[in-house]
Amino acid sequence: MELFNAFIVSLQSVWTGSGFSAFTMGHAIMIAVGLVLLYMAFVKEFEPLLLGPIAFGCILANFPGTGFLEEPGLMQAIHYGIANEIFPPLIFLGIGAMTDFGPLLARPSVLLLGAAAQIGVFVALVGAMLLGFNVQEAGAIGIIGGADGPTAIYLSIQMAPHLLGAIAVAAYSYMSLVPLIQPPIMKLLTSQKEREVQMDQLRPVTKFERVMFPIVATILISLLLPPIAALLGMLMLGNLFRESGVTDRLSDTAQNSLCNIVTIFLATGTGMTMSAESFLVPQTLLIICLGLVAFAAGTAGGVLFGKIMCRLSGWKINPLIGSAGVSAVPMAARVSQMVGMKAKPGNYLLMHAMGPNVAGVIGTAVAAGTMLAMLK
Amino acid sequence: MSQPVTTNPFIIMLINMTVVFLVLIALGLVINLIHYVDPTKPKAKKEEAPAPAPAPAPVVKAAPEPVKEEGLTPEVVAVIAAAVASLGYGPGAVKAIRPIERNGWKQSGRTMGMDRSV
Repeated sequence: MELFNAFIVSLQSVWTGSGFSAFTMGHAIMIAVGLVLLYMAFVKEFEPLLLGPIAFGCILANFPGTGFLEEPGLMQAIHYGIANEIFPPLIFLGIGAMTDFGPLLARPSVLLLGAAAQIGVFVALVGAMLLGFNVQEAGAIGIIGGADGPTAIYLSIQMAPHLLGAIAVAAYSYMSLVPLIQPPIMKLLTSQKEREVQMDQLRPVTKFERVMFPIVATILISLLLPPIAALLGMLMLGNLFRESGVTDRLSDTAQNSLCNIVTIFLATGTGMTMSAESFLVPQTLLIICLGLVAFAAGTAGGVLFGKIMCRLSGWKINPLIGSAGVSAVPMAARVSQMVGMKAKPGNYLLMHAMGPNVAGVIGTAVAAGTMLAMLK
Repeated sequence: MSQPVTTNPFIIMLINMTVVFLVLIALGLVINLIHYVDPTKPKAKKEEAPAPAPAPAPVVKAAPEPVKEEGLTPEVVAVIAAAVASLGYGPGAVKAIRPIERNGWKQSGRTMGMDRSV
């Protein structure tokens, strides 16, 4: 009998200590959400490099009793990297090393397209405030319209950390859906004649320009908007590695190994913020909807400003490249290319669209910095 | 967290969009300035124009013969003709084969054009 009692007590303690005893319907729903996201990432191939670890992190975050964030260990270290804004600037280092600023340097006027496309950020901000979010939450939600994951995470951590999971998932989901969201808006707002505009070959950019730009831009923007100095500084440092010609090893590490490692940490850690308690709230649905509005408005803003530039330049700028101003490097530029080629085969817009695309990355970071300065 | 400067969403939008435009316009000016002071940029074309080119007149062969451009062996011509045929184009004589302009961005665009997954 004593043996039986000891057996029962042991079983009870195992049960009490297991995740099953504290498992709720909310956890089950979030694990199901994680599985759906995994399906989208690995089967449908929607941004698998990011959505995959986010989805897995979401599943991990919804096992009760793991104590991931309470006890020192890998998960707490990953959370530390996110909560203290370490990972987004490191991702920007990789993006800088991967990105060719040449098209932007050859035609700096397209910076205006990158600025115009930021209208999506503020349309969503206005919408969020009208729906009852406070000003910091609205700013963090609005940045989804910048279509720039690291910047969205960077801003959310500082202004609305409790919304980080929903904002990151919305941002990365819509970024992966750019080829579906943008083309109808681009076609709706442009005529066939506008879509067929063939742009002139860009002038060659010298190494001097390529090396000087990241240095001067860092000095200018960091002095103007110190809150984003880490983000923009790392972007420009990565680009300097790429363009200097004498730091190939650093450039290679920044754009490959380091970027991949940080992506794993950042995405898994972001997924781990998607616990049932913080994600299963009505605001999440609103954030997902506002994210779509932000993307659509940003695309429309870029294309409409592209139409203005098309007229002012004497039909030398194809308005389709305006949509690339929403960042999402390089997917948005590819979409401009595809829509342009459908309108006129042989019309290669990819190089021209990379200019506003890079401008969009800088523009989103500037918008984030301005909001941090104004609203934090 | 300090007090926000304003909570009027329309004022926030106006101020932020103005700042974004001003910063990016300033960056545009910086780019132009760098280009202006660039000591390595090529000189004006006027100096290059009178340079007597050694007249590498492109060999254009209208005759339907195998092209004898440098580096193009009959085997390469045969492979190109077979590739063209495999894409569904009817049989016909290859009149000329010339290397395309080496432009990484255009090549990337062509590759994307063939990639239906994007």
